[in-house]
Parts: sequence; C-alpha cells; structure tokens
Amino acid sequence: MRKPDVKIVLLGDMNVGKTSLLHRYMERRFQDTVSTVGGAFYLKQWRSYNISIWDTAGREQFHGLGSMYCRGAGAIILTYDVNHLQSLVELEDRFLGLTDTANTDCLFAIVGNKLDLAEEGAAEDQENEQDSSREAGGSCVPAKVPKQVKLEDAVALYKKILKYRMLDEKDVPAAEKMCFETSAKTGYNVDYLFETLFDMVVPMILRQRAEGPPQTVVISDYEKQPKQMKSGCCA
Amino acid sequence: MMTIKAFSLVSAVERELLMGDRDRINIECVECCGKNLYVGTNDCFIYHFLLEEKTLPTGTAAFTATKQLHRHLGFKKPVNELRAASALNRLLVLCDNSITLVNMMNLEPIPTGARIKGAVTFALNENPVSGDPFCVEVCIISVKRRTIQVFMVYEDRVQIVKEVSTPEQPFAVAVDGHFLCLALTTQYIILNYNTGVSQDLFPYCSEEKRPIVKRIGRQEFLLAGPGGLGMFATVAGISQRAPVHWSENVIGAAVCFPYVIALDDEFITVHSMLDQQQKQTLPFKEGHILQDFEGRVIVTTSKGVYILVPLPLEKQIQDLLASRRVEEALVLAKGVRRNIPKEKFQVMYRRILQQAGFIQFAQLQFPEAKELFRSGQLDVRELISLYPFLLPTSSSFTRSHPPLHEYADLNQLTQGDQEKMAKCKRFLMSYLNEVRSTEVANGYKEDIDTALLKLYAEADHNSLLDLLVTENFCLLTDSAVWLEKHKKYFALGLLYHYNNQDAAALQLWVNIVNGDICDSTRSDLYEYVVDFLTYCLDHELVWKYADWVLQKSEEVGVQVFTKRPLDEQQKNSFNPEDVISCLKKYPKALVRYLEHLVIDRRLQKEEYHTHLALLYLEEVLQQRPSANGKGAEVTEMQAKLRSLLQKSDLYRVHFLIDKIQGTGLHMESAILHGKLEEHEKALCILVHELKDFAAAEDYCLWSSEGRGDPYRQRLFHTLLAIYLRGDPSDCELVVPAVDLLNHHATEFDAAEVLQLLPDTWSVQLLCPFLTGAMRHSIHTKRMTQVALGLAKSENLIYKYSKMKLKGSSVQLSDKKLCQVCQNPFCKPVFVKYPNGGLVHTHCAANRHTNQNSPSPGNRT
Repeated sequence: MRKPDVKIVLLGDMNVGKTSLLHRYMERRFQDTVSTVGGAFYLKQWRSYNISIWDTAGREQFHGLGSMYCRGAGAIILTYDVNHLQSLVELEDRFLGLTDTANTDCLFAIVGNKLDLAEEGAAEDQENEQDSSREAGGSCVPAKVPKQVKLEDAVALYKKILKYRMLDEKDVPAAEKMCFETSAKTGYNVDYLFETLFDMVVPMILRQRAEGPPQTVVISDYEKQPKQMKSGCCA
Repeated sequence: MMTIKAFSLVSAVERELLMGDRDRINIECVECCGKNLYVGTNDCFIYHFLLEEKTLPTGTAAFTATKQLHRHLGFKKPVNELRAASALNRLLVLCDNSITLVNMMNLEPIPTGARIKGAVTFALNENPVSGDPFCVEVCIISVKRRTIQVFMVYEDRVQIVKEVSTPEQPFAVAVDGHFLCLALTTQYIILNYNTGVSQDLFPYCSEEKRPIVKRIGRQEFLLAGPGGLGMFATVAGISQRAPVHWSENVIGAAVCFPYVIALDDEFITVHSMLDQQQKQTLPFKEGHILQDFEGRVIVTTSKGVYILVPLPLEKQIQDLLASRRVEEALVLAKGVRRNIPKEKFQVMYRRILQQAGFIQFAQLQFPEAKELFRSGQLDVRELISLYPFLLPTSSSFTRSHPPLHEYADLNQLTQGDQEKMAKCKRFLMSYLNEVRSTEVANGYKEDIDTALLKLYAEADHNSLLDLLVTENFCLLTDSAVWLEKHKKYFALGLLYHYNNQDAAALQLWVNIVNGDICDSTRSDLYEYVVDFLTYCLDHELVWKYADWVLQKSEEVGVQVFTKRPLDEQQKNSFNPEDVISCLKKYPKALVRYLEHLVIDRRLQKEEYHTHLALLYLEEVLQQRPSANGKGAEVTEMQAKLRSLLQKSDLYRVHFLIDKIQGTGLHMESAILHGKLEEHEKALCILVHELKDFAAAEDYCLWSSEGRGDPYRQRLFHTLLAIYLRGDPSDCELVVPAVDLLNHHATEFDAAEVLQLLPDTWSVQLLCPFLTGAMRHSIHTKRMTQVALGLAKSENLIYKYSKMKLKGSSVQLSDKKLCQVCQNPFCKPVFVKYPNGGLVHTHCAANRHTNQNSPSPGNRT
C-alpha cells in the first residue's frame, strides 16, 4: 500500500452528504449512499503526492472515533447542510472538539452541501431545473425550501474556529477562501473544493519532508531510551 | 454479498480425546507452537497434543492430533491462559491469578518455582525491546487496581522491570515494543510504558461488551470498536486502514493476512484488510475462542478444537477471476505480494493480469483489457489466436496451459453477435497497430503483421496500404491467399513488390487496369504503374510493359524512359538507340524522348538533334499545309523548332535546308542560313521575304552573341547594306535603315556608314545616330586615354621597384653561403631574392622546379 503523504478528514453531522461529496469527487457521479459505518478511506494521487481522505460516520454512535481519525490530519472539511441550520450548530458544538488531535497547522474548510435543494442560489439554478424535470415522475422529489444557512454564518463559524484554535487570522487562509457551498448531486463546486484544499496541503507536505519524516524514529528511539533510563538512575 | 472461499474449517481435536463424555468439562484456552497444541480446561488440566497436517487426495488439508500427555495443575480453578516460549522450552500458564512456568515437553513445573503472582491476564511482547533471545517480555494486568506490570521471564526466573498505573482499570492488553495497547473501562489507549506518555484512541464501554485488543503486526493493533467495528490503530494513535464491519457481538478476532477473522455466537466472518469487504462467512455455533498462532488460525467451542485452513492465495485469486471479480482479484494479488517470493510472484501476477485482461476483453471493456494485457506482458498471439484464421498457418504458437480464458474463439465469445465481433476486430486492429513496433512484438512480428494485414483487408481499412508500403513482416503465402480472397489485388501487388516479386506485382496491376480483375483501390493505377516502371531497376520489366504503357498513352507512357531517376541515368541507363527504335511506332512519345535527350540531358549527338529538328519540322508542316506562313501565329511546335534551330549547333544544316526549301518557313530558313554563316542570305530572307525588320535586327543581335564586337559590327553593316542596296526611290527600306542606325548607333563604324549613305539624307534625319556615334567615339577616345595613363603609371611603379633592388650592392665572400645548399659561392654569379637571400643560380633553378621546398620569393 502506498503511504499517504497527508491526511484530509471529512467531519459533520449525519446525513449532510459527506460520503456523497467524496463519492462525487472520486467516482465522478452521485448515487444514493447508505449511512456510513465507522469510516471509509480513499487514496488520491495528486501530482506526485498521495493524499488520504477519510470519510467519517456522522452518527452519534461513532462520534468517539472522530478524534482518532483527526489525529495528524493536515486538513479538515467541516460539512453542514445549507437547508438545515442545526447541522451548522452541531459543527461547533460536537465536532470542533474532535479536531484537537489534528496537526497544529491543520487547515479548516467549512462546506455547505445540498445547495441544489435550496431555492436561492445563482449558478446552479439551471442544473436544478433540469434535475427536477428529470425527477418529476419520481415520488419523492424534495421540495425546494429557502436556504436556511447563509454563507456569512459559515464565515462566522470559521472565525470562531480560529479563536478556538488560538490562531491569528493573518496566519491562515482568509475565511472567504475556506467557506464553500457545494452540491454533491450536481457536482457544483465539488472539484473546486477538493482541489483548492489539495493545492493548500502540498506546501505542508513539503514542509514536513523538509523537517524529516515524523514517524520513522522507531529504531533509534528504542536504542536511546534505555540509555536515558540509565542516566536517570545515576543522577 | 459476493463471497470467496478463503478458509476451510477442519476439526483438529475431537471431543472424545479431551473429556470423553464428561459434560462439565470445558475448554478454557489453547496454545499452538509449531506442532505442539496445548489445551487448558476448566478443571485445571493441561493437555498436550502433536498436530500432524496431511493433504487429502481431494486437495483439502486434514489434521490429526495425537495426545502426548495431560497434567493436573493441582488447583480447583480453571486454566485461564497458556503461552509457549519455545526459546526457553517453557509454557506460561495462568491459573488462579498466578503465572507459572512448566516444561513444554513434560509439563513439569520448573524446580525453582519461579512465578508471577497477582495477574488477571497477560500478553507476550512479540516485538521485544531487550535483545536477549533467552528471555520473553510479559506484560500483565495486575490484581492491584489500575496497575500494569512488565516482567522479563527467563528459563527459571522472572524479573519485574516496570510497573505503571493507568487512569482507569484495564481489561485487556496487547504489547508491541514499549507500547501497550489497553482497553480501559471507558476507552482504548496507547501507553508508552517507558516514557509514560499515553494517547487516547477512542471511547468504548467495557461494561456492555468484552473489549478486544489484538496486535496484528508491527506497531499496529486491531480493536473492537463501537457498532461492531473492527478498528485499526497504530502505536502513534492513528488509523491507517478503514475499519471492518463486524456484528455487534464479536467475541474474538484473529488475523491471517490479508484477512481479519472474527467470531461471534453463530458465525466466523472473514474480512479483507485490503478493501474492508466481507469475503466469507462460516456458520459456527457456540464458538468460544478464536486465535492465530504464527499464521495458524484456531477456533474452538467449549468442547472441540478446529483449524481454519487458508486456501492457497492463487486458488483464491483464480476463484475470483472465475467469477469475473477482476478488481478484487488484482487487489488480493497485489496485497499478498510480500508474502510470496518475488520471482514466483511476478510470474503469478503476470498471469493474473493476463487472465483479468481476457475477462475485461470478453466484456468488451477494451481500454481496461488493453492496460491489463500491456502490464501483464501478454504474448499477443494469445489474443490473436482467439480470432479464427488470423494466425498464419505456419505459426508455431500454441495457447498457454492452463488456458488464460475459457473461450475457444471469438464466435463463442460473442455468441455470433456480428456487432460485438466487429468491435473486437476493431480493438485488435488498434492494439496490434500499437504493439507491432514495441518490444512486445519481438519474436513474432510475422504473426502480428500478418494478422493485422488480414484484419485490414477484411475491414477494407485504409491502413492496409500503409502497412504494405512500410517495413513489415507479413508472411507472403498466407497474406497472398487472404488478399486474393478479399479481392485486394492492388494490395497484393504491393505485397509481391515488398517481397521482390515485381513481375507478379505488375502483372496484377496491368490486369486491373485492363479490367480483367476488379479492384477500385486506385483510380490512377495506370499512372501508378508508369511511375513504378520509371523507378523500376529491372529493365527487362520496363521493356516488357513499355508497349503496354505507350499504347495507353504516349505522353504519359514515355515517362518510363524520360523520368528515370538521375543516378540510374548516370550508371546503368537505357541505350537511346534501343529506346528510339522502340518508340518508332509512337511519334509523340518519340518527340518527347528526343527532347529529353537533347534538351534535358544535353546529349551532343548529331543524329538526335537532326532527328528532333526533322520531327518538329514534319509536325509544323503537317499543322499548316497551306505553306503560307504570312501573318500566321507562331505555333508552339514552330517555336520549339526555331528554338532548337537557334540553340543547337549539331544538326545537319544542309539536310534541313533541303527539307525546308519551298515550304515558306522563312524564319526557319533564315536561321539555318545563319548557322552556315550565310548572314547576308539570312538577312535578305528576313528583309525581303518576311519584311520583318525587327526580326532582322534581332537576328544581328542573337547571331553575334558571344562572337565579339567586330563580328556584330559586320552583321549590322551587312543589314544596313541590304537596306541601302534597294532602289533609292523605294522608300520602303529607308525607314528601317534610318531606324536601324538611330537605334544601334554604337554598333556601326560611323565613318564607314557616312560614306555609304545617300547624300540626300538630312542631318536631322540621322541626328540620333550621329549624336550617338559621336558620343561613342569620344567616349572610346577618353577611355583609351585613361587606360594609357594607368598603364604608364603602373609601368613607373615597376621601374621604381626594379631600381630599388638594383641600387644596393652585394658583397660576396667566403663567409657568404648559399641559402639552399649552404656552400660558398665560387663564381660572381648569384640569384638574389627580394628578401635579400643569396643562392646559387643552379640552386635557384632547382628550387624553382621543385615546388615542395619553401619558396623564398621571386627572383629579381
């Protein structure tokens, strides 16, 4: 198995479309997914780098696993449903705490998915119409509802995250660049989201490589540690 | 869910061997080390068996366990855990919260009685930190609350090395190096017992379910997670593999790469670590223990011991391929790479890729198939052989055994679907075309190119011709039959040509042009044949088909003689006499050929020139039988004739004059007279017969070309004389005479002209002439003066240098030596070079003749 150079983790409440987003990007299509169990893992070759992308389970049952998945993450995608305000609130209340284990320079992206189901929205109107006419015969066409979560709300959350992580706004990408609205169904903004992030994590990989491999100190560790013990005894 | 048979379950120890019919007795623990199998029971017995594996004729493995001995430990407690330390020949036995050491072979307790007290459970460190091979590292969960202890266990003693306390009560432990993986009351953690640093993994409720902590390899553990997940975690506290999804009530887990095996109340489930998919489910009631021992997976109920025998990976992969699960097969093959010797793996993997390629091919997934064939380095003939009749009959190819696929041929594969068949053929075309120039083709280029030719011919594909005109390895006999069958006669000709059978090629093409056989590949086939013959080195063939091409078209056909490549013309050309005699029947062709000889090749042979002039003349005469050339336009042929007559000096002039007499071709006869230097006669014709004064002036100019001024002057004077000789009253010739003088003033000797002119002509009339003549005369005079002056001054310069050289005296003495022979001068005669060097006269003379010696300069 190729060893990943950096890890990106998708977090968010259940049913906001994390798996669909990832599926849309990796498989280039939208399909019904079942609720994710535990987590899933993709390896994406981006230029010469291997990027692992973890899809996590949003269900409360698997909430405890989030911390471990986030450990050592280079970027975290916090996902909510633009038509469901609570899903944004959950990000702050429930998921932000899981990111403590991520790298100190971890990037955050806030993504409002399911834009296709919202009434307003400029760029994807046409696609929506096509979609709805195609599905007109279907029994469960989701009704259009006014978008509940504005992009500004996501920007506000982003700033809260910076405060939580005690980061200076000057040192990290601007909120406007890191808040996205997407539709996994139409594909709107999905490539843009992932590829923007990939481009941003590449410098992190280079920085890590320059600092030397972090987790390959095994053998020297074993040799050193007994010595340290001894010196401790003598002192 | 698609399943695969990865393991088969076989019985190892029957119930009778253990407890007979005593129902209360249950198996508590097992240990397997090499062939030694140990079983601990709830009635404090340890049983030792020897396991023998044998393969049944059906290919499945079977085990027989032979009981060696059994021993009661002397308590009324169950034997909780057993671990063998083969290097020490010791079995570690946990019973009644105490770990004792017994001899592995006779199960006797060791004399020293060394033991570890107060252990709830324990784990061996399979990645030990001490380098001592006669020592095992044991980690125990102590009966003391929230305490873990680490011991070194030797053959007959134990030594505690570390005691660490944990934040909560631990329930299960696994160890790798300095890292402990612990199931605490509410969560799993990684704890470095050396540094004390701990890392939370994830929360877990030990009250609801029994935790599982299992070391699965270097620095990696498998844990029972929430919701029946099998979670992977490294010592760094991260997950490198996605979790596998078990049922909620898993009681044991084991690993047998690349599979994770789990046991619950009813089933044994098998998941792949490579893609996390569940691969196999074996019903197994009342399962009690599931453990792996150095690759051997043992599962027990409370009464019997069973072994899960892995099927050979190759067999598993073949099963996957047989059910067309290409992706999984490849993942499995790649995943087990490190478990198989490199050489063996490469052979196996290539074959798997090839098989997978054929599966994709059969599903018409051509891009995928191509990639698999490429990476699997498929012998292309395997693919070609699927297509009936494509491999040459002479090919020695036989399909690999065992076969790579189940298809006899394409008909079977497509079940006769013509559209599918066509798609397959198109694929093979593009595939062969791609590989034919790569190393894949090495060794069987003939088979590939012949197959490609057949496909192209059958599909009426344009590339057929490209294939045949470039380097190829098409086999002649096989290809010829096929091309004939598909009426690709032109292509067949190309094939013959490529195989140096030009005669056969030409015969075919001629037959096509003649309409004897039908092939519309080229509408310009006649021109093609002419071109072919033009460059054909075999002269006999050219002769053979010369008549045929000329009969079709004289002008085009003659190209086989006139357009031959230059290098051939120089070395090995046709004899012109032969060609001319051949062309007798084809006048147009003959003219073209003579033109080629005379004009293009500039052959200086009288016959050709005369012959050509004669042919031109005949043609001209034929075109204008009226013989009245006056005012008629000059035809193309006439222009050619005149040009030849003017430019060539080789034809027989008298012969032509005879021919031309009385035909009214005045211009031509004037040119001919000119050739005989009969300029007056020529000019007379032009002036009197043709009355073309411009042509007469022109004549003076071109006839004198390259002959010098006096010659030209003579011609102009002659013309003037002709003009003036006429009747003075006849004004007809006065005007041209005056024009001639005025236009060409400088071509005449003015003094001579003035004497010739009638006195009656006015000065005004001749003004341009006189002015011109005067100016010319003065110009000439001045130019001469300048030249004279320059010559004088040049002479002066030479005189000066001569004087200078003569001016200095030269003294000869015995010490002066000749520069050439280095001898003294005996006579007062010497040669002095401009640089002052003195030499003997004879030495100078020698040197002068011998150019190789360095020349010191001119003599003076």
